[in-house]
Amino acid sequence: MNIGNFELGSREPDKLPSRQCEAAQRDIALAVYGDLPDDASHSLENHLAECGHCRQELEAVQGLRQAMSLYPMLDPSPNLLTRTRLRLEEALDAVPRSGWMTRVVDRFFSGIARVQSAPVMASVFLIFGLCGGGFAGYRVGHKSLPPPTPPVQISEGKSTGQDGIQVASVQSIQVLKDEQGSERVRIGYERLVPETMTGSFDNPEIRQLLLKGVDAEGRVDPNVHTNSVDFLVGACLAGQCNDGPVRNALMFTLRHDKDPAVRLKALDGLQPYVAEDRNVRNVVLHAMLKDSDSHVRMRAVDLVQPVDSDISVRQALHSVADTDENPYLRTVSRQMLSGLPEIQ
Amino acid sequence: MAAEAQTLGTLRLPSQVATKPRRVQASSGTAADSRARENEHDLIREAQQGSRGAFDSLVRQYDQAVLRLALHLTGSEQDAQDVHQEAFLKAYRYIGNFRFECSFYTWLYRIVTNLCLDHLRRRKSRREDQAVMIDASGEQIDMLSNVSDDRSMANPDRELERKYLGEKIKSALDLLTPRERMVFELKHYQGLKLRTIGEMLNTTEETAKNTLFRATKKLRANLATLR
Repeated sequence: MNIGNFELGSREPDKLPSRQCEAAQRDIALAVYGDLPDDASHSLENHLAECGHCRQELEAVQGLRQAMSLYPMLDPSPNLLTRTRLRLEEALDAVPRSGWMTRVVDRFFSGIARVQSAPVMASVFLIFGLCGGGFAGYRVGHKSLPPPTPPVQISEGKSTGQDGIQVASVQSIQVLKDEQGSERVRIGYERLVPETMTGSFDNPEIRQLLLKGVDAEGRVDPNVHTNSVDFLVGACLAGQCNDGPVRNALMFTLRHDKDPAVRLKALDGLQPYVAEDRNVRNVVLHAMLKDSDSHVRMRAVDLVQPVDSDISVRQALHSVADTDENPYLRTVSRQMLSGLPEIQ
Repeated sequence: MAAEAQTLGTLRLPSQVATKPRRVQASSGTAADSRARENEHDLIREAQQGSRGAFDSLVRQYDQAVLRLALHLTGSEQDAQDVHQEAFLKAYRYIGNFRFECSFYTWLYRIVTNLCLDHLRRRKSRREDQAVMIDASGEQIDMLSNVSDDRSMANPDRELERKYLGEKIKSALDLLTPRERMVFELKHYQGLKLRTIGEMLNTTEETAKNTLFRATKKLRANLATLR
């Protein structure tokens, strides 16, 4: 088939196209338009020398290129060119001049484009950005820390209110060190906070607190110790001291308390148990023989009177009757012994 | 037809090419070219800084080539003027983005070819098949009648034959896809390197080669069936 005399390649091929022919035909189009590299051009020449089908293909493409001359690209007429230029100038005049904002935005985006084409600069910006971000984050985090505790006002006596403490309530100071880079000192301390509890003697916690008050002789207010003993004595006289700890506390008080009045109270508390509890009886006999206060010894003699037939009580009475420095006690002891039947 | 064959004789291409490729700007690397490039860079920088005069100078350098390509591709003076105007308006707006990574010619033609491709695609979708050109007043004009042919020696039969063949070729070109048409036109008429064509069309040189091969094959087939 041809147009004019331009063969466009419709003859029967001499042989079926091979893979080499396919590549060659692709190169032929490039060769005809002068866009084939030299090495590929040499290979194509060798192939064309032995392939009639590809030679026909070359002639067809050459024919096409020649045929295209019948439809040339024409220069626009001067009239059209002038009209087009005038139209463009009018359109350009109508374009508003960009304001400073637009220029800033343009420069920003052109700067971005420049950074994209410069990886080293982009890396530097990235590193600076990371460092700046880290520093800013550190500053923000530092500012967002909770404000330091307002200074505590220390007073010697009365409480100074919500933020104040009493020096007396401070139990111990545990930590004392300087804060680096500042003039402040950090102190750790413990303080006692007073609490109150209300309840009857049946409450185990109340009983425990009373026993603590009895044991704390010399370490707390003396009235606390005395009052604690009073409460325990009252409970024992009411028959509520069936448990060992309360009885032991009273026996301990009788033997070791320095106040004779308190020892007397302890004796009163132990009275119900002299007959039945040998330990109580021994403590009372010890007070009768050894206590420094004659009133305590006299009260002890009175307590053991119901059990004066006990041999240990009789021996203690003999001892008092013979050796006690108080004549009244010796007399009383002799009268009690005289009233007892002779030991067989 | 026989007379035509006698006149043209045996084809020996590419040395004997009837239509010489037109390059707007050569890159031969001579001193004159280098100076011209420097001048052009100066104009671009001034235009980037807002100089309207510098941009007008750039327009004068390229507008004729742009209009010629648009006129040939669209086949309509009105459409060619639209493409021409839109291309230079875009260039004016975005010249600040030009980073001298390619030649200004390539950058400008990238805009032009994209606009032409859009135009060709729209025309394809409308299935317009204009065999004749339309002038600014909307009247049909025959471009082939304006082609002077020294070989025809004012022979009316020969002139008629040429016009007929020219129309057939135009019809065959219209049957190409817009991209095939663009690659073929840029290669055949503009004489651009396939690498440059690839840059303009945002594709690779290899893809441009394959597209040119497909275009030539289709054209041959279309011209054979049109006969």
